[in-house]
Amino acid sequence: MKILAFDTSNKPLSVALVENGKTLAHIESTELKTHSVTLLPDIQQALHEGGMSVEDIDMIAVADGPGSYTGVRIAVTVAKTLAFTLNKPLVGVSSLELLAADGDEGMMCVPLMDARNNNAFAGVYLNKQDEIVNIVEDHHTTMAKLLDLLKTYDEDKLEFINATQKLTDLIREKFPNVKIMSSEDSLPDATKLAKLAEHKEPVKDIDSFVPTYLRLTQAEHDWYEKGNKDDGNISYVEEV
Amino acid sequence: MKKDTLIMSFESSCDETSVAVIKNGKEILSNIIATQIKSHQRFGGVVPEVASRHHVEEITRCIELAMDEAKVTYDDLDAVAVTYGPGLVGSLLIGIMAAKTVAFAHNLPLIKVNHLAGHIYSANFVSDLQYPFMALLVSGGHTELVLVTAPGEFHTLGDTRDDAVGEAYDKIGRVLGINYPAGKKVDQMAAVGNDVFDFPRAMVQEDNLDFSFSGLKSAFINRVHHADQVHEDLNKDDLAASFQGAVLDILSNKTFRALEQHPVKQLVVAGGVAANQGLRKRLKDDIEKRNLDMELIFPPLRLCGDNAAMIGAIAQIQFEKGDFADLDLNSDPSLDF
Repeated sequence: MKILAFDTSNKPLSVALVENGKTLAHIESTELKTHSVTLLPDIQQALHEGGMSVEDIDMIAVADGPGSYTGVRIAVTVAKTLAFTLNKPLVGVSSLELLAADGDEGMMCVPLMDARNNNAFAGVYLNKQDEIVNIVEDHHTTMAKLLDLLKTYDEDKLEFINATQKLTDLIREKFPNVKIMSSEDSLPDATKLAKLAEHKEPVKDIDSFVPTYLRLTQAEHDWYEKGNKDDGNISYVEEV
Repeated sequence: MKKDTLIMSFESSCDETSVAVIKNGKEILSNIIATQIKSHQRFGGVVPEVASRHHVEEITRCIELAMDEAKVTYDDLDAVAVTYGPGLVGSLLIGIMAAKTVAFAHNLPLIKVNHLAGHIYSANFVSDLQYPFMALLVSGGHTELVLVTAPGEFHTLGDTRDDAVGEAYDKIGRVLGINYPAGKKVDQMAAVGNDVFDFPRAMVQEDNLDFSFSGLKSAFINRVHHADQVHEDLNKDDLAASFQGAVLDILSNKTFRALEQHPVKQLVVAGGVAANQGLRKRLKDDIEKRNLDMELIFPPLRLCGDNAAMIGAIAQIQFEKGDFADLDLNSDPSLDF
């Protein structure tokens, strides 16, 4: 089973080619480069290093959010187009679950994506040997609510991942001694993404595969706030 | 016999996701257009993040439909082309990433296309273009006079100093209670109203080829607001006719000024506002009045708005020149000629 896996859901980029658990190529970038520019050349490079052509791939795995809207869209668009055009299975993995895979074994991992203004995208995952178990679903939350939710957990068993300095300061107020992996040290690893994908069901309808944003756009949010409702029969996009 | 060239083209610069398959830059084998107008009508205009999300939802479906309708396989294709600017960055990126992926997966050359050049070459589906020709590009984002001296050689003669003409239509449409995009409705109202308000024709006395519509837009809005304050009832059809009358005077004035400086055999009018019936009639009448031996080319209505077929038309010229892009292609949201 040859898996091409990639993640561009935040600042770092990670592309990996994995065959039966063995990493054939792994390209990472933590520099602030433009994912739209580097992703395809990096995939090309990974395949070259692995000595295979793109048709040889058996599965495509992608981190499908939450994260930077534009970042997630770049990876998801490439993944779904590649899967569609080559007729290959596609697996989407939560970008937070992938971060949780970077935590320590046995820990209750809380991967974060800073969503600004003291908000975050967060989930809770138990990092077990060879398995990442979802405990609290990925969601968009204020940090106050999240920390309140976590107060029943044992501080020694908690590990926050991908915390920016701002989020770290907020966490420390409630959990002074908790383990925190800073965003500089939290690098999504596409080889782990490939491994996680192996145990998941492929996407049934590639056309309908979209990023998991976990948030409406501001415009839609405001529109619903005004009391507007979707007419069940309306399709917002029409072929003309 | 020369082999046919088949190009798959992508366009996603604003609120339409479109994929086409074009033969020799001349024949449309398919031109799938998924429009998001209904979605953005909720907000009174295009919301970039909403547009980007819709593009991801539609992209592979559009590819599939374009391939099916054209009855082609990837082996039949010679290149993949995509709009890389100008436009909304998040929207552009979806077409660019999808096009790069298809090109990479099937080992096809990639062609990066200027959206404005695409609009002008929508005329290639109507007539055989003779160089040099003049193009008046009028849309929600652009108002330009462009002299095309040779295949793919563009020289901007005039540009808008402020609003694009289609943008002005949307803004005054809002004041008239017309939802975006307002152009078609204003055009229909103008056809039954009379030009009685005498709005300003900006810059028509000036010797340059640039446009300005913000003064006209402000005069319109001020007139309506003033009437509201004094509870005066204005005829909306007359307002529309007066606005459109000023727009057509400005566009006609500058276009024929450009044609005097650069006599050509063809005038191409392209972009969303090229669908305007008042504009079509006005330019036709003006050419007859001036007794000009010049072909006036308007693309069919379906090709006036954003579509991938036009991208395939200009891409054919770039294909023949060997003008190819690499997989590190990025968007250029403020691209010009």
